[in-house]
Amino acid sequence: MSMNAATNDPEIRSTLFNRMLDRYSPLVVILVALFAVVFVYGMVTAPNFLTVFNFKTIIRDAALVGIMGIGLTFVTLSGNFFLLSMKETAALSIIAFAIAMSNGYGFELAFLFTMCVAVIAGMLQGALIGLGGNPIVVTLGAAGLFFGIASWWSDNLVVSFRRPHGAEWLGSGSFLGLPNITIAFILIAITAEIVLRYTSFGRQVYLIGANRAAGRATGHENFSMAIKTCTIASVCSAFVAIAFSAQVSSAHVNYFSSEFGSSGDMTILVIATVMVAGNSIMGGYGSTLRTSLGAIFISTVDNMMVLHGFNSGPRVLAVGLMIVFSIIVFALVRRGSRVQE
Amino acid sequence: MTQKSDTGLPGRLKNWVVGNPDLAFAILLAVCVYGYFALTNDLFFTHRTSYAIMERFAVLGLVGLALTLCIIAGEIDLSIGSNAALAAVIVVRFTDSLGAPTAALIAIAISSVIGLIQGYFVAYLRIRAIVLTVGTLMLLRGVALFAAEEKTVMLTDFTVPDFISTKMLVYFSPASLLVIGVFVLIALFMNYTRYGREIYAIGGARKEALASGIDLKRPMMIVFTISGFCAGLGGVIIGLRSGTAQALGLQYLLLAGTVAAFIGGVSILGGRGGVIGAAIGTLTVNFLNTGLVFNVTPSFMVQLYLGILLMVVIMFQTGSRVFQSQQRRKQILSDVDRRRESLKVRNPQPVSVPP
Repeated sequence: MSMNAATNDPEIRSTLFNRMLDRYSPLVVILVALFAVVFVYGMVTAPNFLTVFNFKTIIRDAALVGIMGIGLTFVTLSGNFFLLSMKETAALSIIAFAIAMSNGYGFELAFLFTMCVAVIAGMLQGALIGLGGNPIVVTLGAAGLFFGIASWWSDNLVVSFRRPHGAEWLGSGSFLGLPNITIAFILIAITAEIVLRYTSFGRQVYLIGANRAAGRATGHENFSMAIKTCTIASVCSAFVAIAFSAQVSSAHVNYFSSEFGSSGDMTILVIATVMVAGNSIMGGYGSTLRTSLGAIFISTVDNMMVLHGFNSGPRVLAVGLMIVFSIIVFALVRRGSRVQE
Repeated sequence: MTQKSDTGLPGRLKNWVVGNPDLAFAILLAVCVYGYFALTNDLFFTHRTSYAIMERFAVLGLVGLALTLCIIAGEIDLSIGSNAALAAVIVVRFTDSLGAPTAALIAIAISSVIGLIQGYFVAYLRIRAIVLTVGTLMLLRGVALFAAEEKTVMLTDFTVPDFISTKMLVYFSPASLLVIGVFVLIALFMNYTRYGREIYAIGGARKEALASGIDLKRPMMIVFTISGFCAGLGGVIIGLRSGTAQALGLQYLLLAGTVAAFIGGVSILGGRGGVIGAAIGTLTVNFLNTGLVFNVTPSFMVQLYLGILLMVVIMFQTGSRVFQSQQRRKQILSDVDRRRESLKVRNPQPVSVPP
């Protein structure tokens, strides 16, 4: 409206800029503007970035991390911090799935079996957290436990099953030109958003996350909520494990620790996905939509760096920088609000 | 707690155990683990094994100590493994050109400054350290990859690694003596200086501490600087001892260090625990690690046992907390009942009139 900030800019840009200046501190605005410039510059100069094919690649890369992130968002929204055992739950699930598949039980039975394992793993952690154990410690212990069990179960070897198998459609099939895993990501993202917004369970998640005392007073104990949300997170990581295993027709406990993306550690990447989009760690604020966008954001940055021809060092550096940057910006935006403490 | 004036040794012991249940449990666990391996493996209870345990203590002890301090302050530093890896990469890369002492100083200084910056941001932004350190974990990993040029860096001259593992006084080496010195210094700092007590204060009761005029920035920066310093020193010791460093290595330190800190009796709610606990916790983890190696356990199983150990400690802590809150609730209920009884006696209920 007024012309003080950027006189020669188009009207729409100027109002947006002014509105941001009104609401947030100049520091935040400068940071965000700087980021936007770098981002747009990177996008425009990267060869083949602005193509439909590349866009599909970005979403497909984001899918696996995104699904796990959506599961973890439930836990974070309900005020139970993180599960540091996402990667280990996935490792346990991938071994369970591959062993069931290699013994010839067929896709459906193997899927059910894996889900049972994941549900048990999630409920175990959820019960301990609900009883008052600290989520970080409980899941750190559970992580060691699951990883050990998975290694012992598979003798630390690669478990492979022969093609053709019943899971190929999930791993490498596609529908209407989109890979099935991308479709699964989109469906899960929409379902999770609807569940959180419009069902009583979803509202309870927000209630307990925002105000645990109020939740208890209205009869919603964290005990059952912790079990439910941890189970959701576990099931999501099991689904990712199954999809990944279906893609490569094999399984090893280290698939999620070393061969994944640029970071080399799935758990950290998933937590970063949840945090990068500005979900509040204290719970009660955020959404799974934010997480999905966070996954796409991280994958976009990575994709851009790949197209510019960078090695893994600068790529990890850039992704880490982006995560720290967005955490700082979100923290600055929310300074002093109740969401923070 | 100690109103009972028992004088004999058993009485005093009992009072101490009631006063410090977590530390007592830690000592019990350490003795159990050590005893198990000493009884089942006749190579375990020897001078050589004790030397090996102390060598492991040099690195893991530092990480356990750093995490203990962070958890006392009510925060956790997830980036400790990446920070240590960065220090290891730097020291190994620059030892050949600058000499080991200079390279080590540079690496430790960089790690400490990283810690300082993290602490400043945690206090300034008022965010949970776990959020920020998830980001810095990846960031530092990228920096380490960058510094190592995505290769495994190696020393060419092995006089320094030989010096670091020289055996001294039967059980020690220069590295472990240095680490013990750091432990003593930090124990004195935490217990007898104002800054140390501030760290306990912001962990145990942050709102009250801030209300009473403690500036959050100072203790937070001190804690994270110590954490970065310990990570850097640990990385330097690992890097110089083995002569190689990988940018993506050392991530196991976080799990092992956290297990050590929790066995040592810190409470995740902050404000509890101490340096002695950290030492005992680390020793327990080392007994387990070394014992498993002696019993020819595959390395991937070590994580399983670490997980089980941590679970046992959590069960104990959760159980004791649930027990305490039940006791308190019972106490309150019986208090209420007693008062109601006395009220009933004083002014008896009027006979209710049927409508």
